[in-house]
Amino acid sequence: MLNKIAGHQVDRRLLLKGAAAGGLGVAGATMLAGCAPAASGPMSFGARTVDVSPTQQLEALVAAYTAKSGNEVSYNATESNAFQNNLSQYLQGTPDDCFQWMAGFRMQFFAEQGLLEDVSDVWNDIGSQYSDSYKIASTGLDGKQYFVPQSWYPWGLHFRKSMMAEIGMKPEDLYNWDDFMGALAELKGQGLVPLAAADKGGWEAMGTFDILNARLNGYQFHVDLLAGREKWTDDRVKEVFRHWEMLLPYQNTNVLDLEWDGAMQLLLQKQAGFFLMGSWFGGNFKEQSDADYEDLMIIPWPEMNPDHARDTIDAPLDGFCVASNGGNSAVGKDFIKFAGDMEGGVKAMLDTGVPMTSANNGQDTSTYDAFQLAQLAVMDEAKYITQFLDRDTRPDFATPAIGPAFQGWFKDPSSANSMLESLQSQWDALPPL
Amino acid sequence: MATMTDRPKKSVRRRSFSGRDKVTLSFFIGIPTFLHLALVWFPAFATILLSFTYWTGIRIEDIKWAGLDNYENIFFNTPIFWDALRVNVIWLFWFALIATPLGILLAYQIDREIRGHKFYQTAFYLPVVLSLAVIGVIWNFLLRPDGFVNGALGLPISESVSFFGDDRYNIWVILIIASWRHIGYIMLLYLAGLKAVDMALREAASIDGATEWQTFRKVVFPAMKPVNIIVIVITVVESLRAFDLIYIIYGGSGGLPILGVLVFQNIAGEGASMKGAAYAVILFLLSIVPIIAYLRQQFKEDVK
Repeated sequence: MLNKIAGHQVDRRLLLKGAAAGGLGVAGATMLAGCAPAASGPMSFGARTVDVSPTQQLEALVAAYTAKSGNEVSYNATESNAFQNNLSQYLQGTPDDCFQWMAGFRMQFFAEQGLLEDVSDVWNDIGSQYSDSYKIASTGLDGKQYFVPQSWYPWGLHFRKSMMAEIGMKPEDLYNWDDFMGALAELKGQGLVPLAAADKGGWEAMGTFDILNARLNGYQFHVDLLAGREKWTDDRVKEVFRHWEMLLPYQNTNVLDLEWDGAMQLLLQKQAGFFLMGSWFGGNFKEQSDADYEDLMIIPWPEMNPDHARDTIDAPLDGFCVASNGGNSAVGKDFIKFAGDMEGGVKAMLDTGVPMTSANNGQDTSTYDAFQLAQLAVMDEAKYITQFLDRDTRPDFATPAIGPAFQGWFKDPSSANSMLESLQSQWDALPPL
Repeated sequence: MATMTDRPKKSVRRRSFSGRDKVTLSFFIGIPTFLHLALVWFPAFATILLSFTYWTGIRIEDIKWAGLDNYENIFFNTPIFWDALRVNVIWLFWFALIATPLGILLAYQIDREIRGHKFYQTAFYLPVVLSLAVIGVIWNFLLRPDGFVNGALGLPISESVSFFGDDRYNIWVILIIASWRHIGYIMLLYLAGLKAVDMALREAASIDGATEWQTFRKVVFPAMKPVNIIVIVITVVESLRAFDLIYIIYGGSGGLPILGVLVFQNIAGEGASMKGAAYAVILFLLSIVPIIAYLRQQFKEDVK
């Protein structure tokens, strides 16, 4: 279904070799495992969210697993920022057996440290339900899998159908940058905030950077820049900021005072026209009311460079990992297999009615509502997927260096050149991994 | 301070401790000492040592010697460090020149039992009871773009006053919030100290014709030396140590950079590196040097 290449820094041939060798070795083990009795015992599950809708889904997953296997599962939820900040200590101490995490470098880093359990044998059983690009995204640097996908979401321009109908604008017809700028000017004339934006959390603006860079300079340059193979002081990056500066007059003025939910409120309260964000916030709209959710629609970010059209998109992958230091890894792996299996966990989560775009091939797209179909269309148009800036580059560079740099740029957009020079020197000064 | 009366020379009579006494004492002293060493001294020394290494904090065998690289990185390659330092220094001066003196003034007036002193006492002390985190939550609720103040002013989210985001005044907003608590804290310390000052001293001064200000400067203030030391140490430490407030309002990616948040950003999460330890050492030196200097000066005067 999705024939994409995940944003990755490892040589694919090496990966495939490793995967093949691993697969052979694991095949033998799984045959033995098939003889062994199913894992049993209590386990714990760590959720990376305390929001209402995702919790509903996860609790349904846990209930379904308990019903099927008879193993008791204790559900531990932590707020997402707190969970992310403490992951290092958490994994070294007494982690839950299975927990929610993200694909990309963030997962590979912990797998490298030996804190994640190898789940390649689980992939042997359920791997056919996922496309190759997801398997690549779930693979660690040593060629083994450490991650089972749950759901994905694209980053795109969201808007409310009712508002656009009232103004008489057709966002689906917007294709390139000039169209888009025209639309923003028209929205401003209507007294709305044309493009809602936030950056108090330090990460929200990374989405805008990602899409502008990928559109102007292409997928390869974007991936190379984040991996350090290209320089931040390159003229192409300065082009990105020149274009970004053109967007500033059309954004709300208090970008640094709003977090993502503040900007989302602008869209929810019909004060803003467009909102660039990952589609996961649809759940928040649904919590507000069904009518609000049904009003939500997405289009891809416009083309800015005909060489690259709209071929790249940020589509982060969320899923599950098994912790090495958990109390009962065997049951953890059994759980993760259930969670990734269409017949088991995926069906349980979809049955809750909370909208979810599952990474599983088996999800019947005919049951997708209009918003999910639009998300799928956005994904399908893109040839390349990236995971998002703070998952595609070194974590000790993304949050401490890029976050504040972008926030500083918002305060003084004319300082782009000096900001980029400083970013490059901070990258150069990073200790070797 | 009270002077010691000379004791006639006599042999010091030691109470002899029984075996059980010794065991009890060693438990009472030993366990807290051990905990103190293990939980305070050991991590402190370890932090100082680790600031000279490269490490992600996960596997011990990954520790690599780095020499002064972390410090070089901070001083020459991290522009946000200088912003944070500037904010901390402004914080220190604000506390030292505005917040603490206000607290002292308040304490002095309350001690004089001006009208309504009981009310002021309670009103100013109330914020001290709250932790800085709770204070952050309260003020965040008030000053957010979708918060109470912006709502009262009738401003929609997109046009709200950017209390926390606008660099022109966000630091002053934060300082006022921090002072809200700090003033009450200093006030209480000083009040306790003032109660201990002998009334006779003040009466003597007023008989000699001294004005209030002269009485305070020449009689009361010097008499409060131990409290002064505490107040100054607290002022320095609280301003350099500030973290809770900023963390609650801005999250881990502080929009207003301060050293405490920089330590946290570099130590917590997946981007952990020993740069955080280096920041902690810098913070430690910044706090300890002025305090030691001040204390040395004080005790030198004492000896004289």
